[in-house]
Amino acid sequence: MNSLVPLFVIIPLGSAFLMAIFGRIIKGFNKVLLPLALLFLTYLSIKFLLGAEGTITYQVGGFAPVAGVPIAIYLAVDGLSRLMLTIISLIGFLACFYSISYINIYTAERKYLILFSLMIAGMNGIVISGDIFNIFVFLEIASIASYALVAFGIDRQELEASFKYQVLGGVASLLILFSIGFLYWRTGTLNIADISTQLPYGGIFVKFIAMVFLVGFGLKAAIFPFHSWLPDAHSSAPSPISAMLSGVLIKAVGLYVIFRLFFNMFALSHQIAMIITVLGTLSMVIGGLLAIGQWDIKRLLAYSSISQVGYIILGVGIGMLILSRQGNTAVASLAIIGGIFHLLNHSVFKSLLFLSAGAVEFRTGERNMKKLGGLAEVLPVTSSTSMIASLSISGLPPFNGFFSKLLIIIAAVQAGYYLLALLAVIISIVTIGYFMKMQKFTFFNRSRVFWQDRNIREVPFVMCFSMIILALLCFALSLLMIPSLRDVVLTPAVNVLVEGLKYTNAVLGY
Amino acid sequence: MLNMRLLLVVPFAAGIFLFLLPESLRVFKGIITLISAAITFYLSYAVFLLPQQQVELTCYLSASLDKYLLLNIDFLSKLLIIFLGFFGFIFSLYSLSYVSKTKKLTNYYSYYLITLGAAFGAVLVDHFFPFLFFWGILGITLYKLVKAYDEDSSSVAKKSLIMMVASDAILILGVALLWKSTGSLQISGLAIAPLGILGTLTFIALIIPALTKAGAFPFHTWIPGFAEKAPASSSAFLIASLDKLLGIYLLARICINIFILQDWMKFVLLLVGCLTIIIAVMMALIQHNYKKLLGYHAVSQVGYMVAGIGLGTPVGIAGGLFHMVNNALYKSGLFLTAGSVEKRTGEEELENLGGLSRVMPLTFFAALVFALSISGIPPFNGFASKWMIYQGMIDFGRGSGIASSLWIVWLIMAVFGSALTLASFVKFTAGIYFGRRSGKYDKIKEVSILMWLPQLLISLLCILFGVFAATRVVPFLLEPIGGKINYTGVWQSSNVSLLIIVSIIIGFVIYLLGNIRKMRRSDSFIGGEKIQEELGYPSLEFYKTISSFKLLAFFYKKAEKKCFDIYDLSKKLVLWCNGIFSKAHSGVLPTYVIWLVAGMLILLLIIL
Repeated sequence: MNSLVPLFVIIPLGSAFLMAIFGRIIKGFNKVLLPLALLFLTYLSIKFLLGAEGTITYQVGGFAPVAGVPIAIYLAVDGLSRLMLTIISLIGFLACFYSISYINIYTAERKYLILFSLMIAGMNGIVISGDIFNIFVFLEIASIASYALVAFGIDRQELEASFKYQVLGGVASLLILFSIGFLYWRTGTLNIADISTQLPYGGIFVKFIAMVFLVGFGLKAAIFPFHSWLPDAHSSAPSPISAMLSGVLIKAVGLYVIFRLFFNMFALSHQIAMIITVLGTLSMVIGGLLAIGQWDIKRLLAYSSISQVGYIILGVGIGMLILSRQGNTAVASLAIIGGIFHLLNHSVFKSLLFLSAGAVEFRTGERNMKKLGGLAEVLPVTSSTSMIASLSISGLPPFNGFFSKLLIIIAAVQAGYYLLALLAVIISIVTIGYFMKMQKFTFFNRSRVFWQDRNIREVPFVMCFSMIILALLCFALSLLMIPSLRDVVLTPAVNVLVEGLKYTNAVLGY
Repeated sequence: MLNMRLLLVVPFAAGIFLFLLPESLRVFKGIITLISAAITFYLSYAVFLLPQQQVELTCYLSASLDKYLLLNIDFLSKLLIIFLGFFGFIFSLYSLSYVSKTKKLTNYYSYYLITLGAAFGAVLVDHFFPFLFFWGILGITLYKLVKAYDEDSSSVAKKSLIMMVASDAILILGVALLWKSTGSLQISGLAIAPLGILGTLTFIALIIPALTKAGAFPFHTWIPGFAEKAPASSSAFLIASLDKLLGIYLLARICINIFILQDWMKFVLLLVGCLTIIIAVMMALIQHNYKKLLGYHAVSQVGYMVAGIGLGTPVGIAGGLFHMVNNALYKSGLFLTAGSVEKRTGEEELENLGGLSRVMPLTFFAALVFALSISGIPPFNGFASKWMIYQGMIDFGRGSGIASSLWIVWLIMAVFGSALTLASFVKFTAGIYFGRRSGKYDKIKEVSILMWLPQLLISLLCILFGVFAATRVVPFLLEPIGGKINYTGVWQSSNVSLLIIVSIIIGFVIYLLGNIRKMRRSDSFIGGEKIQEELGYPSLEFYKTISSFKLLAFFYKKAEKKCFDIYDLSKKLVLWCNGIFSKAHSGVLPTYVIWLVAGMLILLLIIL
């Protein structure tokens, strides 16, 4: 299985080049190639998720370590990476399949699919890379593809959003590169596992580097106060891209790297754990309070992403706090499972919500809720999938969101952080508030019959298919609460984080 | 064992199956629902006959899930189960005729059955995690059983769901706190005396969901709107019976099994209960829409149950639970009769109705029984349970502590509330059934048998429960739950009923013998003026004087503007916060860059 690891980057990168060359000549080539490539990746990642155990490493070029010093570029696939790979490939495939129909409202279909493919390559690269400079390279591939995709509509609004995103994203990349440089200067290596053995514990230098990393990746993950680019960028992009950005990109580029670095590279420190948790809580609260006043569907969803990312960080952050003061590992695992499970769930229901919003926009050309209404009758599939996702994100059983929020709240109480638990509860009430607002003004409220003279039909099968699969996943992921399934999917990912610096041993094999 | 498993599986399976059928097969769907409801009713009866026990269901998915599926069959859950089964069956009968003609109520039957299944689940399980699961599903089905067709009804649906989810979220917090402080999540057999701030918070976080579900002040505000806008069968099924049963069930579990009631808890519960009684009934008095009026009464009656259970004495608990059962009977009956009237006349305002007693005699009879029951007139069931609660309050006064020393206040509020209930039901009954009938209603007929039969069955139960209260119902159903009841005053329901029946018969005989039958019928005398078509029945006018009374007028005006509505208050607060944050997000790039730099500097300052 080891030799299959590079395929996760090679396939999407190769498809991008093939599409650039043959897409122009052979008609329909792009629309067939990319979904098939992503379907294969989905298969591969699920095979990895269910079949592989422990950490799989792959040395690019096959250079063996010299005197215990790793000189090759390492690709390391452990439980967390496998989970992320599955999310990226699966959501990527569904969003891409959905795009086949959706892209008809734009012109440059080939460019769209090429950029899409590059974005997937970048994210997969980040997740499998065990080398911090490669993470930066893939991060730039994914980010630059996403800058272009946000601006894809080339209207005034899209260009402005993309410009803001580029400026802020550029600053973040600069900070990341800056601290990578510092790390290389002090440790003389770029391999994450190797760095963690070389880094001195504590000390002002490590703290400084950690903070600069946190700001850089925090911006990519849209943590308060670095979230300001997200509402514009995510609401202006074409809907399948919004689904990818909110559902996957901010997690692969932002959250994943933060978790990886702060658990597996830096030694845990209570102070940093506290900062991360507080920032997560602030994101959760402020994102939720901002979302409830929005009237643009996609902007509402974008603010909601900030809030939900806050939940994920809250869960993992509580785990980090407990681990850093050598508390009860069982509670820490519970908190981290809650966070990681919410990450998985959020990628499913948030992409579903964006796809549903896209379906509404596709048929009506309208995103302003004040002008919509009564669509439940004409768009039954969209309406029900959107409803399922809304209930799921608001944390109602039997949907997946209920369980992850339950775990996060229970873990917060168990760890003694009552205020955080209370805030999580209050924001979950605010969440149902704004999602019900969205449901009411978009799909019900029949008094506004703007669609009556327009002859609106349900969206094409291709789009419905993706939405239905995601809606079914909202139900099916609840099953991950069953211990035997949880041990296959979630526990390996959580163990990677709980075990902390043992990552080094797993990757380098000492 | 098998019965219990089926009790959970049948409604869910049938409900999910019905999703697959198209809406055009509505009648067929209704019949399947009726059959599944009949089966569950039978099963619930079978479970009711079982002895007290705890049963562990095996779940075929994973052995480690089994500990969550411990079912608790005690007298309280058996009481709930038999009534859930009964109501599930009786309303599916009514829905068959009522819903079939109501258009665009998509998947009504599916959600109906899932609601029933989730309710059984919530009552049976003995572990808080599955309880939370079933409890949450009930919130969704509640939302789905309102027909969201226009501005108002979608607002009502939205509000109900948000309040339900809010209470769910608070319940999760309560459960988490309970786990933290006790280390166990088993519902039965905790019996802790809450200590310190953690215990207080746990208690509050657990009773808020119970009060919201049942609809007690100040968490009642979703109910009146729901009653007004939802189909009458949904109202009868949910807010009149099922939600009351479940909310009070949770409250009873909290007060009997989980906590040992402290004095301050009793005080809180009695205060909430008595305020609910008075405030809701005052609001009910000024309503013109009869469904909304019933909605406010659905709130008001909860006050008696909360107060009864809050007493914490055997007679109080038994009285509260008995009132829960009785209220579910007559209140759902009232909604059913309201639905029948609405179906035949299409009218929801009391002003435009009147004189229907002659054209809809069976519905009228049932409604009269229900109205007398809810007003607490002997020998109907409402009197029996209120009597027990009054007894409990008098008894309670002998105890010590602040809640006990205020017993006379609680008693006065409860009795006063009962009087106001009577007053408002005079308005309800008179407004719909008595007085002058508008010409357009001359042609209407009694509703079909599928609709009047459930009404009459429930009214029969109301009478039976009242007549046999002291001899059969209370000793058999309720005493095992709260403990042996010692009455201070004796209420011999059967004997008194016998006297009343005798007096009614004598009265009837006099009526037949005398010349009263030949009495003259004419319109109300209004000073010799010719009676106008639009002139309503004057009894309604009387109630307007209440709302124009100076002091009350102030509160009513504020209430109309929803100044006391916890939902609207929190909405305002959240939107105010939103305004502040939105202003900061100006969309200007340099500002955002400044945030980035400032954020980084602050973080560095903190850490270094």
